Amino acid sequence: MNKYTLSKRQVVNELSTFYSFLAGFLIALIIGSVILLIQDKSPIDTFSLMFKLSIGSVNSLSSSLNKATPLILAGLGIAIINTVKLWNIGAEGQIFMGAIGVNLIYINFQLTSSTSFIFLLLVSAFVGGAVCILIPAVAKVLFGVNEIITTLLTNYIVIGLTIYLVNGPWKDPGSLNFPAAAYVGKEVYLPTIFGKLSYGFLICILFTAFAHYLKNSSVFGYEMRIAGGSEMTAIYAGINAKQKAFFAMLIGGGFAGLAGGIELLSQTHRVSTGISQGFGYTAIIVAAITGMRPVGIFLVGSLFGALSIGGSVIQTIGVSTYIADIIQVSTLFGALVIQFFFNYQLKRADDG
Amino acid sequence: MSNKFLETRNVTKTFGKIKALDEVNFNLYKGKIHGLLGENGAGKSSLMNVLSGIYQPEKGSIYLDGQKEKILSPDIASQLGIGMVHQEFRLVESFSIKDNLTLSKSNIYKDNFLKSFKKYSEIFALNVNENEIISDLSVGEKQKIEIMKLIFNDSNIMLLDEPTAVLTPQETSQLKNSLVTLAQEDMKTIVLITHKLKEIKEFTEIVSVMKNGKMVAKDLPTKDVTDNQLIELMMGTVKTSTVDKDNKIGQIKLNVENINFIDEISNIKKLEEINFHVKSGEILGLAGVSGNGQVELANIISGIEKIFEGKIIINNKDVSNKGVRSRKKLNLSYIPENRLGVGLAPGVSVIDNSIVRDYFHTKLGPHLSKNKTSNFLESLIKQFSIKAPNPKAEISTLSGGNMQKLLMGRELVGDPDVIIASQPTRGLDVNAVDAIHNLLIDQRNKGSAIFLISEDLDELFKLSHRLLVIFEGKIVKSFNTTDANINDVGLAMAGASE
Repeated sequence: MNKYTLSKRQVVNELSTFYSFLAGFLIALIIGSVILLIQDKSPIDTFSLMFKLSIGSVNSLSSSLNKATPLILAGLGIAIINTVKLWNIGAEGQIFMGAIGVNLIYINFQLTSSTSFIFLLLVSAFVGGAVCILIPAVAKVLFGVNEIITTLLTNYIVIGLTIYLVNGPWKDPGSLNFPAAAYVGKEVYLPTIFGKLSYGFLICILFTAFAHYLKNSSVFGYEMRIAGGSEMTAIYAGINAKQKAFFAMLIGGGFAGLAGGIELLSQTHRVSTGISQGFGYTAIIVAAITGMRPVGIFLVGSLFGALSIGGSVIQTIGVSTYIADIIQVSTLFGALVIQFFFNYQLKRADDG
Repeated sequence: MSNKFLETRNVTKTFGKIKALDEVNFNLYKGKIHGLLGENGAGKSSLMNVLSGIYQPEKGSIYLDGQKEKILSPDIASQLGIGMVHQEFRLVESFSIKDNLTLSKSNIYKDNFLKSFKKYSEIFALNVNENEIISDLSVGEKQKIEIMKLIFNDSNIMLLDEPTAVLTPQETSQLKNSLVTLAQEDMKTIVLITHKLKEIKEFTEIVSVMKNGKMVAKDLPTKDVTDNQLIELMMGTVKTSTVDKDNKIGQIKLNVENINFIDEISNIKKLEEINFHVKSGEILGLAGVSGNGQVELANIISGIEKIFEGKIIINNKDVSNKGVRSRKKLNLSYIPENRLGVGLAPGVSVIDNSIVRDYFHTKLGPHLSKNKTSNFLESLIKQFSIKAPNPKAEISTLSGGNMQKLLMGRELVGDPDVIIASQPTRGLDVNAVDAIHNLLIDQRNKGSAIFLISEDLDELFKLSHRLLVIFEGKIVKSFNTTDANINDVGLAMAGASE
């Protein structure tokens, strides 16, 4: 009887995540093509249209990058939390809380300088996201409650809170019964460059650099890595593993909160249930594909933003927008499968 | 003696190059309690795993009641009436006692459960309701349920792997009475694996001894053998190589005073009135079978375990209330027994693991200097000849010897005043062992005070000036290695009273 076993490779190629992503994306395009062919649509026409309308002009590229901003920020937050080997499934809720934080400060404070007011609002978005993950973080470090469950459940609570706010205390009388809060004033809109590209994207570049530094070159990042590798080693080294996990969660939650704040100040301009279109969940895919690398998250997040824009415009030729979702998800599956073969190899088992 | 109930003939089992069992012949007799004695790694557990169907031997055969049997799986073992109690319990924690006892399809008391449960509760002096949930029971109670599970599964051969390791002295003598009753009344055949001579003497009628995968003595009537004979069989002839021990000994560097420690979870006293000191240039050995309080002691000295009675004094400073960091700043290094998991963080890169002790020296504010860390690793690799080609590779891609060299190098590079080295050569090949020994001797000559915790008597005799023996959390004896008799140390390790 031939038995095969999987064994971990001694040396894994450093660029393996990148190759797996490329391979995964290729697989996804093939799967997308097959689906398009079944529907009697030309994959080449569809993809080239998607390409043209998502990055073909300064304007469309700007839309794509605006779309990518929340994905990237939430993805970075997930990656920071994953440095201590914890999973944040609650980015969606944190995005909403970021927007709620912005609106809460906006309706209660007024600053004359719009620059400093915007700054204050972005800080409150960050704090809102951190507050949102506070209970899961406390439950994790004090009682060891599984953070995957608690962060997931807070999503439902926060979305419930949003529905309550936009139907109750924050409901805009002028919204013609549409459940939404009042628009914020133009003075706090994030400025744009090249026409449509929001300053939010520039903030996003800044935070990508920050996350990269935090994870890879800071003492805090080092302590997070050790704590994530083995709590016992951390204790042995005199590192407070629980404290690192706590702060990692708050910072990661803050990133997603900031995504919500930027989305409000640059795109929706008001709190409604449409603040996030599943950005918090897509961000998990983005972070997972890149192996939790900030620069990778920036690139793949940008691509996924473009895919979303491309996906929404191909409706005009009678193709479902879901083709973009299928490509995103298939990329993750493809990349994970390929990554598996980078990490492991099949070996014939020794007899016995 | 009566007929052999179970017999193994020339059973051999290898793992890679290592012969865990080498042509082992072993006999069991119906209704008797057997002792199986041997050091760690002698092959006792491997033999039991073969009998209970977990391992398949490459060679040899097993006869049960004269019939040749192939025990291909634990399931088949259980059908043949062979059951084992492992050191880690295999109970479903969230189920009731009754559910656990009747879980197996081979259980025989499904219909008259209550009556049998009462009967065996009496034999085991167990005072709990059958609907009690396992996770609510004490360790001793859980063990009784484990053994009862074998009875309920109709096991006639019961293999118990160090059953007393988790028990208090009272529970141990209670266990003895229960086992004697089971052997006499139910004709159960029982095997007790242990390191403790006292238990061999008290529990068993027949004793067999293993060493290095071989059965060195079998079917000895317990009442006719002396402790000394058993120890000699168990230890064999230890080749007592030695190193020059005339180096300069200086001031006291580490002082351990009146340490008492009770484990919070099991509520068992793990350490009792521990007192010793180590001087600069001195290696003090701590001999003992693992599980007698060594890990707890090392954790208390290094600052990992914070709740204890007594004093730890490093370089004349009382650090009893201080944490890991401040002890490191007084230049204490700790090489933990658990290499990968405590000393090194799995899943983390070689370079990250190399700076665990000194990373706060390589930082500039919140910034961790890449240059400094990679220079640090490079110098470690050079100085301690570590084979680690890729600094970014995960730590577990290194061989065991290189992992230990990296860990030792990291802890020794700052010429620590005090070194606690716990089982530093366990599981390493001969060359790596020599390299590690040389590192320790170099460090000794540079004036470090070294506290060496080990089970390997050869290592302890070779390296240390003085030797303490720990047994059940107490220092039971101390020796000067120059004039000590190795068998006396062995006897003390096995808990033999004078």
